[in-house]
This record gives sequence, structure tokens and C-alpha cells, in this order.
Amino acid sequence: MGDEAMLVVNDVHKSFGHVGALRGVSADIAKGELISFLGPSGCGKTTLMRIICGLTKPDAGEIILEGRVINDVPPDRRGIQMCFQNYALFPHLTVAGNISYGLQVHKWKKDKIKARVEELLHLVQLEGLGDRRIDEISGGQQQRVALARALALAPKVLLLDEPLSNLDANLRVHMRATLREIQRKVNITTIFVTHDQVEAMTISDRLVVMNQGAVEQVGSPVEIYEKPRNEFVAKFIGYVNMLQGVVKDTSDASRSAVIDTELGESEIALGDSRLSRGEKIYVIIRPEAIRLDIRKSTGPMNSFAGSIRSVMYAGSTVKYTVDVGGKDLIVDEYDPTTHGIRRMGERVVAEIPRNVHILRADSRTPVLT
Amino acid sequence: MAQARALSRAAWARENATEFIQTHVVNIAGGVLFLLLAVFLLWPISAVLVKGVYGPEGFTLRFYERFFTAYYYRSFLNTLLLGVLTTSVCITAGFCIAYLTTRGPRFLRSPLKWLTLLPLIAPPYIFALSIIMLFGRRGFITQLLNLDLQIFGFTGVVIAQTMAFLPLAYLIIENMLTSLDSSLEDSAANLGASEGKILRSITLPLLVPGFLKGSLIVYVMAVSEFGNVAILAGRTPFLAPDIYTIVTGIETDFHMAGTLSMFLLLPVAIIFLVQNYFYKDKGYVTISGKPSYAGPRQMGLLILIPMMIVALTEVGLIVLSFAVVAIGGFTRIVGIDNTFTLAYIVDWRANHALVSSLRVSLLAGLFGAALGILIAYVVVRGKFKGRGAVEGLCLAGFAMPGTVLGIGYLLAFNSPPLLLTGTMIILVLNSVFRFAAVGMEAGITKLQQLSIEVEEASRNLGASTPTTFRRVVLPIIFPAAMYGFIYVFMTTMVSLSAVVFLTSPAYPLVAVFIFQWAHSGYIGLASATTVKVIAIVAVCLGIIQVMSRWTGFSITGEIKGRYGG
Repeated sequence: MGDEAMLVVNDVHKSFGHVGALRGVSADIAKGELISFLGPSGCGKTTLMRIICGLTKPDAGEIILEGRVINDVPPDRRGIQMCFQNYALFPHLTVAGNISYGLQVHKWKKDKIKARVEELLHLVQLEGLGDRRIDEISGGQQQRVALARALALAPKVLLLDEPLSNLDANLRVHMRATLREIQRKVNITTIFVTHDQVEAMTISDRLVVMNQGAVEQVGSPVEIYEKPRNEFVAKFIGYVNMLQGVVKDTSDASRSAVIDTELGESEIALGDSRLSRGEKIYVIIRPEAIRLDIRKSTGPMNSFAGSIRSVMYAGSTVKYTVDVGGKDLIVDEYDPTTHGIRRMGERVVAEIPRNVHILRADSRTPVLT
Repeated sequence: MAQARALSRAAWARENATEFIQTHVVNIAGGVLFLLLAVFLLWPISAVLVKGVYGPEGFTLRFYERFFTAYYYRSFLNTLLLGVLTTSVCITAGFCIAYLTTRGPRFLRSPLKWLTLLPLIAPPYIFALSIIMLFGRRGFITQLLNLDLQIFGFTGVVIAQTMAFLPLAYLIIENMLTSLDSSLEDSAANLGASEGKILRSITLPLLVPGFLKGSLIVYVMAVSEFGNVAILAGRTPFLAPDIYTIVTGIETDFHMAGTLSMFLLLPVAIIFLVQNYFYKDKGYVTISGKPSYAGPRQMGLLILIPMMIVALTEVGLIVLSFAVVAIGGFTRIVGIDNTFTLAYIVDWRANHALVSSLRVSLLAGLFGAALGILIAYVVVRGKFKGRGAVEGLCLAGFAMPGTVLGIGYLLAFNSPPLLLTGTMIILVLNSVFRFAAVGMEAGITKLQQLSIEVEEASRNLGASTPTTFRRVVLPIIFPAAMYGFIYVFMTTMVSLSAVVFLTSPAYPLVAVFIFQWAHSGYIGLASATTVKVIAIVAVCLGIIQVMSRWTGFSITGEIKGRYGG
């Protein structure tokens, strides 16, 4: 995102009584970008949203929109529109009445309102439902009405607070795509708040992972998944196998190192990491990166003998727990229909890849230079 | 083989019978409750209305004819106007105060709320007493400012009734405002609406069902709780005191009383029907599942100041009234002989009535709460047709002008098989069936929050329906029962409109005593006794509060989350 930042959150602090809800949060959001704020419940996401749109005042720090500090601008003058988690649709108004509410407040002309409402209904694929009452439409449709209402005044920034959490699983996946499509079409800068990591990964240009009122990592979904900056991010996004280890040897020539791990000796590629001998580290391995084999001997490095301790079949994958000398590894194997499903107690060889992510053991932060 | 089959068939039959009884317990209870409601509400009410069209000669409209030829139609118009004025002022002012205590400055919320609710523990006609002592010909303020006021008449009555029933309106509206999802208002603000615009376009329209409900209750109270009216009306006629005079006067005329009751009831029935049929399913307030937290909103001065004026006037008048009644109870003759006296407070005549009132109110509270909760359970969990009728009947009892129900009891239970006149039972039953709806509504709210699966889990673990009710449901709806108890107890202690017809020398009621003294001009005695009643109700509430700490229930918490109907 090389563009100049549309919205800057600069070192925002907020506490409620003794509870620190936000402890210095900063983030830059580019124009037209969809950025997700992701974190467990109570990490301060919603508080941050309310601060950005002006419903809550920060104790310290700045919110900067298009280069202008807007801390003291009232919510209705910010050009930032929030979509509430429960939609907050006005139950006594029709679909069209809801969508046009902001336009009426801003004293638009009748015919312009009508045209705009039609345009928005078309955008969110609710043509012809303008006269319906709010309780006569489905949850997914309510979600789209809320979106249309928020977009009506063409805000500079759209805030979506857990917008899909009230929908059932299938509808969620569908609405995720719809939401992204609409966001791209309108090209609106959007902040998406969620605690669902799959949702955040699939929908966003970038993610901001938050925990306990602070930002843990900002990056693209790929960066966050493949190069988590710390243990929290690694564990919050998907499952990880974490192996303790000590650097036994490094080779500058082959850009590799030998690590004495809990499983045994493994050789890993260093990439742009720099390790020194005797250093304590964690090796981070995603379940799908480990390969299981029964024919192979344990001869080569990175191959360890073990046995299957549990089998969880999930259609497209099978999740195995493999006991390797007392340490449990979680391994995902794809396409079980072709490969067959392994049995409990079966002897296998687990092969660990050379390209892994490494965190320092003391600070549990990456060893990237 | 055959033997085994016979055995299993017997077991199966036994099992099936238990199953049958268990699944039908709720329905059977529903039937019993319906019968009870029919006997103790429907029958008395019909008895009154039939009297109006049924003379010794059979069906007749001559009583209705007399209604229009005598002065009674003026009573009707006065009553209608009184009801409409009182209700409008109560709802408007109640909304202002409720808006302040839910959206206004934080430090104001709690004191404003408790002061506004204070009159609930006092007899409504405390305001007739205070108005006489403040603005009467010898009143404190009249003398102080040398005014020439005429408080006896329409104006005085409207002021007193408004003061008396504003807390009720406030309680209902406050509850509605609290449960209104604040993200709706946030969202409107976020779309650029000003506070005034939000009020007009969002808050007020969403409260319409609450206003209707509040109007119904306040209207009924204003036209039927006739203590203030009888004391202050002077020569202005009103229906409820007319009925009282007709029934308790020298020439008792139940036919005319029946006719007047019809006219007392008519407007109430219309509001009741509108509320129940046009707005029943438009309870917007609960549409969202998860209420977002209500941050303190900055109220604009243009809205804050007028609302504050209303609130402070109301609270000021309440405090003034309580103070002046307290003073009046210890003053020989207010305005004429302002010397201190203990004569009224030690007057023994009221003590017997106080004890008797306390007994009736406690019993009514217990049974009223129990009945309300039972009906709530049956209405929410029963599967039989006519659940709506049970609920509606119970609510109709609450919406019934007390005067009408009082005469109804007098007529219906005056002969075998249910000869109850002159007993304590009739007093208790009257209050129980009149106010059971309060416990019922609170219970329904609680039960609707309780997923049926919790009960199914209990049954699945082997508990029978009664056991499930006792072990699972009861603890959860206990707060609702408690609320029902408190409401029935408090109201029975101070209400006059129905029991005034049912009280007897053996079971005198303190509310009736105070009313009769005030009516006859014994202001000091009436004030002192009012002070005693307030003290006793306050002490009882205190005891309940302390006792209920053991169970984790809090009066303040419950009243906060509920309303008076």
C-alpha cells in the first residue's frame, strides 16, 4: 500500500476506570483498502471503532483523516460511517426508510433521495424490497440494508463492527464475498472488525492483530500467517506446532542451520534469519507443512518416526495427532479420498520442511534481521 | 412369552399415563386458572354491567336514559377530561424525567429517579391533603403570599391526580427507554441526525407502545382512584365519587351504579383494545438481541433545560407535599392553630385498621405474586388454545377501574355458593385478581428470556414437570415473583377505589379511614395516619430488601428493570 494514508490512528490510549482498553494503538489505513482489526473478545477492537467514529473520546492519541486531526470533530461531521454489530436498523421504518434516513437528515431533495435509494438497493441486490418492513426480511438482507444505509452518504471511511457475527455459517461465507464485492465496487476505505481469523484472512487486504489493547502485528494475510511476529499471533491465526530447540550449527555457505529440537536434529533453511550457535529458539511449523510417510526410513534429517494417536476426518482434510517420541505433532493431510485415511496406532514417519518460521525463545519474537 | 408381553404392556401403559399427566399438567393448570379468572373477574364485572340494563322489570334502558337526563353525563364528561388531562401531563412529564434518568447527566440519574418514585409508597390522596394544607383557604402558601385561590374543583383534582400517578407513568416509560437499544440512537447520530431529530424520528416513535400502555394504566388510576377526586372536587361531579355515593349512600342503587360503571369503563376498554390489537405485535423495543452499552450522551441545552424544569418542578412538589403532610400530622389545626401536637399520631382508632390493612396486603401480595407467576408459566409454556384469553383476562383485571371491580365483588359474592361479603377473604381476593397481572407480566418477561431447553434438560435428567418448575423455573423467576409481591403489597396498602366497597367493621382498612377523615375535614388525623402508612410500607420494603440480600435479589435492581404493569 504505497498510497498516502487515508486514516491514521496514532498512539491511541483509552481506559475505563482501571481497565486499560487501549494501550497505545497505531495504524495507517490506505485509501480504498479493506483492513481488518482482528483479536479475541475484549481486546479493544470495538472501543477503537467507537473512537474512530467519534462515539467515544480517546484519553490520548490522535485520529487523523486525510491529514487532519479529527479528535474534536463530532461524529456526524467526520464522514466516517459505522455499521453496528446488531445492524441497529430502525424497526419502525421500511427498508427504503432506513436507507434514506441519513439523506433526509441532510435535507436532500425528494427525487434525489429516491434515485439514490434505488441506486443503493441495486448495489446491495435488494431491488424491489424498498417497501418491506425490517422484520419482514432475512438476516442477510438486514445486513445489506445496514450496509446500504451506511453507504448512502458516501462516507470517506466505513466501519464494520463484527458485521457477520449474527448470520449462520453458510450465509456468513456468502455475505463475506458479497461484502468484499461491494467494497471493491464502491472503492471505499473500510475497517472490518472481527474475532474470526478465517473471515479476516479471506476478506482483507491487510490485518491488524490486536491483543489486550495493543497491536501485535500489522501485515497482509500471507505475512501474518507465514511470518507471525510472535507467539500470540502464531497461535491466534490457525494452529501451529511449536518446537523448542537449540542452534547446534550454522552454515553460511548453504544458508542453513542444524537445530537440536525436541524431536531430534533438524536442518532448516535460514532464509534471511540470522542465528548463532547455542541460541534457544522456537521452530514454528503449520500442520499442513508436515508430511507423513510410511515407506520412508528415518534415515534422512528432518524425518522422525512416530505413531498416529488420533484421527479427525473433516472431508477435505484429515487432522492427525502424531506421537513422536512423546511430543505431539498436529498434521493435516489433504484429499483423504485419494490418499486414504490412516489408522490409529499406525507407524509413520513425519517429515518436517526445511523452510520454517523461527521465533527467539526468550522474547518469543522473530529472528528476522 | 405372552406373560412377558402383558407385563411390558402394563409398564408401557403406566409410563404412558405418567407421560400424559406430565405433558398435560400445564394445560390442566391453564384450565383451572381460566376458571378462577372467570369467577373472580369476569363474573363480578358482568354482574355490574348487567345491573345497568336489568331492572326489576327485566331488560331496560331507563337507567341509561337517566344518565343523560340527570347531571351524570356531566360527571362523565368531567371524568373523561380529567382522565385525558392527567394522562397527557403524566406521560409527557414522565417521559421528560425518564429521558433525564436514562440519557441525562450521570450524577442526576439516581436521585431524580428515587425522588420521582417516592409517591408510590404513599396513599395517592396524600396530594389532596398537601394541596389543602398548602393552597387551601388557610394554606401555608395562600397565607404567605396572601393569595385568593379556589382549589376545590376541577383544577385541584387534576393537579392532585397528576402528582399521584406520574410515578407510575415514569416507571413504565423509564423501563421502555432502558430496554430501547441505544445503538439505534447512536446509529442515527452517526448518520448526522441532531438530538432533536433523533427524539422525533427514532426515540418517540419507538416508544408509542409504551406510551399507550402507560396511558391505559394512568387513565384507569386517574378516573377510578377517587380519593383525591372526592376530597377536592367540591361541587364538580365525577363518575367514581358518584358511584361511591350511590352505593354507600342512603338509597343504594346498584342499577345506576352499573350504568355509571359502564361509562367509567368505556374509554378504558377502547384504549385496552387499541393497545392489545393494534400494537400487540409492534413491540419494537426487543427487536435486537444484544443491547449495546449506553454511553453518557451529551444532551443539548435546548432539550436539557425544559426537561430539567419539568423534573425539578415535579420533584420539588413531591418533596414539598411529603414535608407538609409530615408537618400536618403533628399540627393541631394547620393554618389556624399551628401548635405542635402528638394527639393525632397516637390516636388509637387507626391502629386496628393499620394492622388489618397490613394483614390483607401481605396475604394479597403473596397470593397475587403466586397467581401471577403461575399464569405467566402457563401462558408461556402451555400449548392449549386460549392462552391468549387467560393472559388477556388477567390484564383486563389490572386495567379494570377499581371502583367497578369493587362493586362487582359486592354484587357477585353476596350470596351462596360464594358468600364472602364482610370477610377478609373478599378483600384479599379482590386485590389478588386486580393486580396479578403485574407479577404475570414480569414473569412472562423472565420466562421468555429462559430458553425452553433449560427446562427440557431438567426433564431429560429425569425430573418431572412439577419438580422442574420448583427446582429450575422458580429460582429463575423468583425476582419477578418478588416484584409482583412488592407491587401488590404496596398498592393494596394505599389503594382505595375497590376495597372501599368491601371493607367491614371487622376488617377495617387504613386507606378507607384516611379517606373518610380527609373527606370530613380531619386533616391532622388523616396526615398523621398517612405518615404511619408511609413509615410502615417503607419499613416493610426495608425488611424485604435485607431479607432478599440472602438470595441475591435486590429491590432496587428489580424496580430498575421493570415497570408497574
